[in-house]
Amino acid sequence: MSDVIRDMDRLTEAVSKMSLEARADSIASRRRRNPEIPAAAWTARTVVQGNEGTAIAIVLSTIGCSHARDENGGCTMCSYLLDGTEAPVTADDLVKQFRTAMMRVSDADGPLSVKLYTSGSFLDPEEVPPQARGEILQLISSDSRVQHVVIESRPEFVIEDAVVEVRQALPDVFVEIGMGLESSNDVIRLLCLNKGFTRAEFISAVETARRHGIGTRAYVLLKPPFLTEQEALTDAVETMQDAAEMGVTTVSVNPVNIQRHTLVSQLWSRGAYRPPWLWTVVEALQRARMFLPVGVRIECDPVAGGTHRGAHNCGDCDGAALDAIRRFSLTQDLRTFDGLDCHCRPRWHHVLEHEGASLVVHY
Amino acid sequence: MSRFEIERGHDGPARRGRWVSPVGIIETPFLLGPPNIKDVDAVYIVPDHDILTQVSQPTVLVMPTLLSGRSAGEDILSERSPLVAAPSVVGASAVSSEMVTALIREQLHMAGDHDDPSRVVLRLPPIDDMALLGPLVTEAHNIGVRAALLQFDGMLGRRDLNSVIIRSMLPRNWLTIAVGSIEPCLVPLLSYIGIDGFDVSRADEAARRHERLWQNGTECVTSIHDARFCACTACTMATDSAEGDLESVLRGHNIHIYRTVLSEAVHARSRGLLRWLVESMTHVSPGMATFLRRVDRAVYPYIEEFTPTVGPSYLPLIGPESYHAAAVARFRQRLAERYSPPEDKQIVLLLPCSARKPYSESRSHRRFIETIESALQGARSAVAEVVITSPLGVVPRELERLYPAAQYDIPVTGDWDAEEIRIAAEALRTHLSKFSSDVVVVAHTSGGYADVLRAAQDDIDQSIIYTIQGGSATSDEALESLRETLSDVGGLLGLQVSYEGRSDRRRRRPRNALVGETLRATADFQFGPGAGSLLVPDSARLRGRLYATVTCTVEGQQLCSYVGSTGLLSLTLAGARRISSLGNYWVRFDGETLRGGSLFAVAVTDADPLIRPGDEVIVLNTDGEVVGVGRSEMSGREMCEFDNGRAVSIRHKE
Repeated sequence: MSDVIRDMDRLTEAVSKMSLEARADSIASRRRRNPEIPAAAWTARTVVQGNEGTAIAIVLSTIGCSHARDENGGCTMCSYLLDGTEAPVTADDLVKQFRTAMMRVSDADGPLSVKLYTSGSFLDPEEVPPQARGEILQLISSDSRVQHVVIESRPEFVIEDAVVEVRQALPDVFVEIGMGLESSNDVIRLLCLNKGFTRAEFISAVETARRHGIGTRAYVLLKPPFLTEQEALTDAVETMQDAAEMGVTTVSVNPVNIQRHTLVSQLWSRGAYRPPWLWTVVEALQRARMFLPVGVRIECDPVAGGTHRGAHNCGDCDGAALDAIRRFSLTQDLRTFDGLDCHCRPRWHHVLEHEGASLVVHY
Repeated sequence: MSRFEIERGHDGPARRGRWVSPVGIIETPFLLGPPNIKDVDAVYIVPDHDILTQVSQPTVLVMPTLLSGRSAGEDILSERSPLVAAPSVVGASAVSSEMVTALIREQLHMAGDHDDPSRVVLRLPPIDDMALLGPLVTEAHNIGVRAALLQFDGMLGRRDLNSVIIRSMLPRNWLTIAVGSIEPCLVPLLSYIGIDGFDVSRADEAARRHERLWQNGTECVTSIHDARFCACTACTMATDSAEGDLESVLRGHNIHIYRTVLSEAVHARSRGLLRWLVESMTHVSPGMATFLRRVDRAVYPYIEEFTPTVGPSYLPLIGPESYHAAAVARFRQRLAERYSPPEDKQIVLLLPCSARKPYSESRSHRRFIETIESALQGARSAVAEVVITSPLGVVPRELERLYPAAQYDIPVTGDWDAEEIRIAAEALRTHLSKFSSDVVVVAHTSGGYADVLRAAQDDIDQSIIYTIQGGSATSDEALESLRETLSDVGGLLGLQVSYEGRSDRRRRRPRNALVGETLRATADFQFGPGAGSLLVPDSARLRGRLYATVTCTVEGQQLCSYVGSTGLLSLTLAGARRISSLGNYWVRFDGETLRGGSLFAVAVTDADPLIRPGDEVIVLNTDGEVVGVGRSEMSGREMCEFDNGRAVSIRHKE
């Protein structure tokens, strides 16, 4: 906890209220999707357990994240739940969504890496009924090509019973549970992000998973609102280090992108927030790679990178920076960043040094 | 406890002074910057693990943020710094009212816990709901906070305007510092509205963009050899050496520009010409022009309150920005509110202004006066001479020596713009409405002056006679026409006859009626309606000339004297007692009798909020007795708020 803040409750309450106002009626007015079709699914060539293979990412269309739906306003930067649907989704629907998505890799060669996203928590029984969870895990286990599975969940759902169920369903597969740690600093996570869980709860989830041989991916948010570029950089690097110490197997760096109906988007439209510079992303990856154990992978694929709504530089060098970031995520090789430079880099240095003094957002 | 010692001298809310804290002194106004900019007056530090170890210069301002937590070394740094910013977060300009309140409450906690709250600087984000800040500022003041940081993003939009408005809401004796992206051309304006410290980090940002800053814009520089000529040391040194660190050369140049422009503002302020400098800077960009107009509209009462009622001997009023400058707009307002014409005027003569001031000393006005006198043969006093002018509107002859009527200068082409015509027509309408509807208005006007009359004439009750069909008002033809018109009208009104020696009341009027009228009008203008008849009753004996000095004596006792060079009255104690019943322009101090030649703000218990710097004021003791008169050095509100500084220069005392 910060040794500076005196009335944390008052501040978090104000943030929660702002977040709720930003959300407004966006949830209720979500599209009613066909409950049998996933929100999204895509494939990519990737490295699976050391061998070249195929990754399939599936975003199941659910009722959405429990935290985003409740009355505290949800996370200040996230409206992924808008990918979900207002229509009721049954267990059968979810299984059908999964089957539909998997058709995309029906002809693909193994090994396969299956990333199962829900825009919420796969392990939340309200969001993904236990029957659906069981059947989907069964389907995965019956596909011998699958060697790597990623599911996502908030830490409060990563409990003994759920983890055991996953382990038993997929005894021979490398499973990782992705959790949004965002920041290891409780003040930043609870106040700036309205994330609603503590560092201790996250650590407990990591340990529960580890006891059953299940890996964890820590999602690290780069540049939460109310942080200067410099604070964001420092916080991301510290969070990656902390996450590695907590025992996560992979660190995934997510630079903030502007999502509709969020507090961040309101700040952004009022000129009070700028998504991070790609230089900050590069710097964070470089610093973290030097500090983190080799066994912990660092990944990053900036959503909306190079656009005004995502991490961006001056426009001239965004492509090169994004390429380097993505290559680094595959190779973990710091030399990927060698020679990356631009006329805007000194400006970024200026931002790092001066934004904290004026607290005026630097663009 | 730290305190802000503000020096004498005013030009709008701008001021000069010293911030004196137990750990250091800052002379204001000052340039503030990060440690990597050399030659700033004050260095700020954002406590950060990377930077703290590198600081070698003495830090003036430490700026922690709310979310980083305390870093090692910060406490030691804070102990040594005259100023410590209360921590906040970036983006606070766009958060909800609850959040802003919560963030400022955090700052108040921090200030309350600090050993010396007077060194804590409150950060006030440029939120739209500014009313929210008032009570929090008051609370901060009660805790002992005496300084604030205001944010400027340099876009000159609503947020920057909000910061200006917030400045106007702060107690006068707070030190105020502008941080953010501040172009050099904005420095005079910010100084004008009472900012004491200027963040020059923009000098660094521009350097990193390979830009040189100038007073009127930026220049992209790839090589210093191909760049514009510049005589500053950074640029000349760079030209000598073939290769150099361009960025640091540019940084050196840029800070030099800030230094130049700030010293220009300080100099202009000392001459009473800061407003002129601010106006001249509006030509840098449409954005600057828009911003000044918005500032004038948003905080006019604040600017006016601290604008002296006396000024430089020469006041250029060049563009539309001048039309609503405080000294100008206040003249129009006071004339409308406080002037009442002598009752026996039968003719109102409208005249064009002259370049030379006061008007009556110009060639054209000397000829007008000769013409009036020859036409009316000594009955000039029946004529109210009213000068139409831009941007003051109208100036009655009696007040032509007052600031700024005797000092202003405008570009003259003969063409008036719509705003000038509107302003003057409004002033003329108001002025003429104070005369009886029986008086005859003689309009000796052409060109723009005639346009003014045309714009106003529908609302004028009196009959109007025009003397000029077109062309110059000073041509022999025009003057002859004026003479004939006045002579005819005078005949109709029976004015010349009175001179011949009939025993009617006009007979008794002294030939120098203008002297008495001038003193009365001046008294009303300076001290409020009613002062003229109290200070210059019919029985008063007036001796002297308007262009020099006129003394006013009643029953052997001098009440006041008129000083031609300023167009103002100086009171004697007797005069002050006469007008004290009006309840205007009084300063009450804690004591029985005055000692010395000055009354200091610390001793003032209460003062008329109407008082402006430069006003003639009446000093009252604890019992409410008049014990002195003098000239105010500050505004009434400042006399009450300040704990130091000279409030009144005493001229006479009991």
